[in-house]
This record gives sequence, structure tokens and C-alpha cells, in this order.
Amino acid sequence: MSKHAIIAAAAMAAVVAGPAAADFPERPISIIVPYSAGGSTDLSMRLLADSWERNADDTTIVIRNQPGGGGAIGTSAAVLARPDGYTLGAAAQGPLALLPHQGGTDYQLEDVAYVGVMGRSLQLLVACADAPFTDYQSFVDYAATTPVQVGNSGAGGANHISAEAFAAAADIQIESIPYPGSADARTACVGGHIDAMVASPAEALDQAEAGNMTPLFVMEDERIDLFPDTPTAVEMGTDFTWSSWKAIVAPAGTPDDVLDTLRAQFQAAVADPQFVEEMTALGEFVVYEDAETFEARAVRDSDVARSVLEQLGMLGMNN
Amino acid sequence: MQNLGYLMQLLDPYVLGAIALGTFGGLIIGALPGLTATMGVALLIPLTFSMEPIMGINTLIGIYIGGIYGGCVSSILLRTPGTPASAATVLDGYPMAQRGEAGRALGMATVASTIGGLFAAVVLATLAPQLASIALEFGAAEYFALALFGLTIIASLSGDLLKGAISGLLGILIACVGADPITGVLRYTFGVSGFASGFAFTPALIGLFALSEVFTQMERAAKGDIVPLRVAGRWPTRNDMRESRGAFVRGSLIGTLIGIIPGTGSGTASWIAYNEVRRASPTPEKFGTGYAPGIAATESSNNAVCAAALIPLLALGIPGDVVTAVLMGGLLIQGLAPGPMLFQSNPEIIMGIFGGTFFATLCMFVFGMALIPLFSRILLIPRHVLAVSIVIFCFIGSFAINLNPVDLYTMVGFGVLGWGMQKFGFSQAALCIALILGPMMEANLRRGLLQTHDNLLEFASGPITQLFLALTVLSLAWPAIANRRARRRLAGAPLTDPEKKNQSK
Repeated sequence: MSKHAIIAAAAMAAVVAGPAAADFPERPISIIVPYSAGGSTDLSMRLLADSWERNADDTTIVIRNQPGGGGAIGTSAAVLARPDGYTLGAAAQGPLALLPHQGGTDYQLEDVAYVGVMGRSLQLLVACADAPFTDYQSFVDYAATTPVQVGNSGAGGANHISAEAFAAAADIQIESIPYPGSADARTACVGGHIDAMVASPAEALDQAEAGNMTPLFVMEDERIDLFPDTPTAVEMGTDFTWSSWKAIVAPAGTPDDVLDTLRAQFQAAVADPQFVEEMTALGEFVVYEDAETFEARAVRDSDVARSVLEQLGMLGMNN
Repeated sequence: MQNLGYLMQLLDPYVLGAIALGTFGGLIIGALPGLTATMGVALLIPLTFSMEPIMGINTLIGIYIGGIYGGCVSSILLRTPGTPASAATVLDGYPMAQRGEAGRALGMATVASTIGGLFAAVVLATLAPQLASIALEFGAAEYFALALFGLTIIASLSGDLLKGAISGLLGILIACVGADPITGVLRYTFGVSGFASGFAFTPALIGLFALSEVFTQMERAAKGDIVPLRVAGRWPTRNDMRESRGAFVRGSLIGTLIGIIPGTGSGTASWIAYNEVRRASPTPEKFGTGYAPGIAATESSNNAVCAAALIPLLALGIPGDVVTAVLMGGLLIQGLAPGPMLFQSNPEIIMGIFGGTFFATLCMFVFGMALIPLFSRILLIPRHVLAVSIVIFCFIGSFAINLNPVDLYTMVGFGVLGWGMQKFGFSQAALCIALILGPMMEANLRRGLLQTHDNLLEFASGPITQLFLALTVLSLAWPAIANRRARRRLAGAPLTDPEKKNQSK
């Protein structure tokens, strides 16, 4: 390549990147939600968009729903978009850290630039109606000899992986029963058609009060406020934690100064008290994590998922 | 008395206004192809964030009820199901409108929707806790048997059984495209990531019914075979109402029952209701030709689903269909977790929702009736202008659902398929039913066998499963039984005396 060409390319890059950085954002930023309108990710993102616009002057956020393929279609659209900061993705654990290992996606975890985490979705294992166990110990004892049917919200999804990962860690036998979504799994659980399921605290709280579900353990390091009497797996002697998350990513290659602006605005939006209040009402657990922490978390989840999927024989099954 | 007090909170003019506005908005959303009731509710949830709970949630219920009703407008006028719930209304609504009786078809649909909606609202207000437990009885085997029973509609809907079976099986095959429901393995996607969740349902329906019809009309226009409509008015006659009495009752009952069962919905209910009403009719041959009870059956059932789907949501915290799942998010944001506790902790909300459901249904009736003359005039637009507009709507509607360009190919592909099927006498309805029920049947059969370790006897051991399996057999045998009865009646032979019959031979 001639010297002139290099200079010309550098000049062009400067022209392209220059104004974008100085006045970013000049037009509305879209966040692609890889799920249908009305789901928990969608509602969380709409609350975030409200808060973002309240806290950053002149920034407009547009939510676009591109559902399908367990989140792969919308995630692909976000991750492979033009890296100018105007197209972001609502990042979820499933499509980002789990699906690429199963194949059939046209993106990998390496294709994203991290913006930040806005919330973690805590998870519990609950016993369903008529299950032959009522607490952690009786569950583990029972499942040591008899396979327990554990419902999840989709083969290869977050609930499936976490249940299987726990089974491996606690050395128990489970049979994963996939449902099309968490609402369907919950219905089956309350109806006693499965023995146990992985549930969110919000899902479990009301049903536990009504006596339709019994919380067995929390997949955290420490007990959580909503379920002060429910132990963690860690304190019962099994080294296992798992949580899902809601976050924002940009396509890899987004200019650094644009990313800095986005990260700062995102942080302010997540810290907004009204946002925290609304998210809490929705049953979400608001936690801000910066890009670095987010990256470490995503990579770690991706590694765990890889080994679980390998054991299940699902690694690269759609390639 | 206290409950009456809770109802009084609805008398706030702002609350009533919001419900009426929501219902009207839902009606328009439902009438536009590609904008479904689900989308309408989902997109407007953020608007209700700042409202009082009773106002917010009832606005959403208004959108839901208006949206499911609105779907009939484009089904009847343009053969474009505005929502999947109204696909079955195409069968009799469209032929009636094509005879110049759009007002009669829309009027029937409005009356039927109102009756179905009010019936289910009464059930919701009086029997919700008692009936909600039905929702919990349905495990994998029960869903499988229900879907299988639903699929037998194909046999009775298609004049030519072989062609009907081919259409149905083709639908089940098409429904296999996408991720396997149990293992997650991608099937028949040929590496196109846009097909990872299969063909999108609404674009497929729009292509199958609407675009195909445009092709057919163009073909006929080329042959000079089109008579422009001069009138589109005319109201339902007293005779229509009398003939449809049974259809109202059956449609409302079936819609309410299907609405309570989670994971099914107005799409399933309207086909089953259509078939059952037709089966019970003394003149089944009139169905499909623009016959009022056909419209009464589908529209009373799909609006009954609306209120009925709220039953498991409010009583158990389990949404009865896709829209109520979205509604649940709206309730949660208001700080109200639907479920058994809500009846005790917030009876004013429960009563408010009951009242709001009634009011929204009445609003739907008033708006629907008032708009009929306006809607009917759409058919007086010159055919070539109308055809082009329908094509534009087909494209916009298919894209608006998921913003996925692959859906446009789906729509066009199904348009060509539907046109071919229509031309060679294959039933589009059979294909549509298979698209709705095929995935439900497959996933639940495999889930159930997974749970019972491939033990078929254990799989089929539940009483509800056995009931539906028996109904399936009966449904398949029905044409033969009906035939025989008719023949005997004609021959004047007594029904229960084989001896005599033998002698007479």
C-alpha cells in the first residue's frame, strides 16, 4: 500500500470518526431488544430508555424489538450493526454467552463492545406442587437416587444450563423438561406436572405464599432479602452460584470516545432512583456493573456454559 | 355492598374515558393487518406507567378487547386476518362481504363479539376462582390430545378429504421449520438464521389469505370476470340472529373454556368453535358460503377468550394466553402481582378489572356499530386501487411484526402457496389450522413422552387426555354416523331396530 493511500485512509477515518465523537449523539440511538414487546427484557429496556432520556439531554432512545431464534436474531442485528454507537443491543445471557456455543449464530461473544450491566436476574430452584421434597437437603437426598424432572424455559437457555450445572456440582440426577417459555414452565410447576424448576424471585414469591411452590435454594453467594429463610447452595456445601443478567452492548469496533459517552450516560440512567423503583416493582434486581466487570462476568458464564453444553452433547450442534 | 363501592371507582370520567380510548385504539390496531392485540398492549404499557393502577390496567384490557374484535374488520372486508384470532372469520365473513353485504357481516361479528365478551366477563366475575383450577389440569398429554382433537377439524372442513389431509400435513411439515422444541436443534433452516424460530405466523397468515386473494382477483380481472360492488350496506336480519342463536351459545362456551386453558388462545378457540357450530347445524353445507352463524361462531368465541384468559391470570398468576402474559407485566409494574393473594390484598383491583372488562366490551359494541357504515364503504373503492392497497398493507404488516426482512419472503412465499392451493382446490383453512395446532401437538407429545420415558400407556392415562382422544375418534367417525342417520331417516326406517332393517333388505 502506498504512503498516500495510508494517509488518505487515515484522513478518511478521521473524517468519519471525528464529528461522530465530538457531537455524539446527533440522532436517536436504537436499542435492539431480541425478544417480543411486553416481556421482562422489553419492559426493563423501556424503563431504561425513559431514564436515559431523563438523564441525558438531547439523547433520544428508540426501542426496536427483533424477536426470534431464542434471541439470536436481534442480538445478531445489534452486534453486527455499523459500529457507530447508534445501534446498541439489549444483551442477555442466553443469546450472548450460551447460544454461540450451540452453533447456528453468525456472531460470537468476541464481537461485542461492553457498555455495562443494569441488572442481575437472581434465580432460585423451587419445588413444584406435590413434589416429594420440601427443602435443600431432602431434595439433594432424593435426587441422589431418583432423577428429578426440572422444567426450564427452553433447551440450551439460561435455566437449562443453570439446572444442569447445579446437578453436576451437587452430583445429583435430573431430567430437564423444556418448555417454550418461563410462563409455560411456571404453569406446569403450579399444576404439579414437573417436580422442580428454576424461577426468578418475583415469579416464586407469590406462588410460594400461596403454597404452590417451595423455594429450595438461592443461586447466590448470600441469602437474599425476598427469601431470608431460603439457604444458598454455597452454605449447604455445594460450590454453585448462577445469575442471569440484563445489560447493554455495542458492536465491536465502536470508537472509544463514543463508548465512553455511552457508558457514562448508561451509568447515570441506571443510578436514577425512579428507574430503580420501577425496576424493583417489576421484580428486577438493579445492579450497575461497568464494562470491565461485565466482560469478566460474560466470559466466565460463557466458559461454564461451554462445559455444561459439552457434557449434554449440545456443543456446536447447529453448526 | 363493599364490592359495589369498589365498582364506583370506575365512575371517574377519566377512567371511563381511558377505557373507551383504549378500546377504540385497540379496534384500529386490530383492524390493521400486522398490528396485533398483543403488540398494541405491549407497546402501550409504558403509557400506563404513570396512571393509577385501575386506570392503567383497564386501558390495557380495553386495547386487548378492542384489538381482538378489530381483527374481524379486515378479515371480512379484505380477507386479511387483522389478527390470528380472526383467521377463521374469513371463511364466512369474506364471501358475505363480496356479495355486497359487508354491513351484515360486520354487524353479525360485532353482535357476536359482544355476546361472547359479555358471557365470559360474567363467568370471570362469578366463577373465576372455581374455574381457574382447570388451567392446572393440563399437562403435556392433555395439550397433545386437545391439539389432536383440534386437528380433526381438517377432516370436516375440507370437502375433498385427501386434499384436506395433504393441506394439513403440509402445514404440520411447514411448522417443523425452526428450532426443535425439545432439543433446540435447528430443523430445515438451511443455514438461514432468520428462520431459527420458524416461519413467523402472522406474515404466513397474511400471505396465505390476503396476498393469495389479490393474485386470484388479478387473474379474474384479466379474464374480465369481476363485477364491481354497488352496495356494501345492509344489516344483519332478524333471521340471521335467530339462526345464530346456537352459534352464540356454543361459541361463547368454547371460547371461555379454551381461554382458561393456558398456552392456547383465540386462534385455537375460533377454529374449534367454527367446527362445532357447523357440526351441530342442520345445514352444514351453508358454512363457507357467507353464512351468518359461521361468523357468529368464530367472533363470539374469540372475544370470549379475552375475558376468560384473565381467569387463570387473576386467580392463579398464570396468564391464559400471549396477551395476558404481556398484561401481567403491566400489572407487575403497577406493583400488583396477580395471583391468589391479589383477591385478598387488593379486592378493589379485582372488582375494578371485572367492571372494566364489562365496560370495554360495551364500548367495543358502540364503536363497532358506529363504524360499520364507514368500514363497509372501503369495499366501494375501485378494485384495482383496493388490490394495490392490500398488497402494500401485506408488506407493511408483515414487516412491522418483528422487523425481520425474512418475514417478507415468508409472506410472499405463502401468498404464492395460498394462490396455488386455492386454484387447485386445496384448503387454506386446513393449512392454517395445522400451523396453529401442529407445533402444540408435536412439542407436547414429545415432552410427555420424555416425562413418561416413552411409556404410551402412562402418557394416555389421564381422564382429560382420554376424553379428548375419545372425542377425536368420535369426530373422525362423525361424518359416517351422520350420513347413516340421514340415510335411515330418508328411508323412513326406525333408528334402533336393525332387525327391521335387515328384513326390509
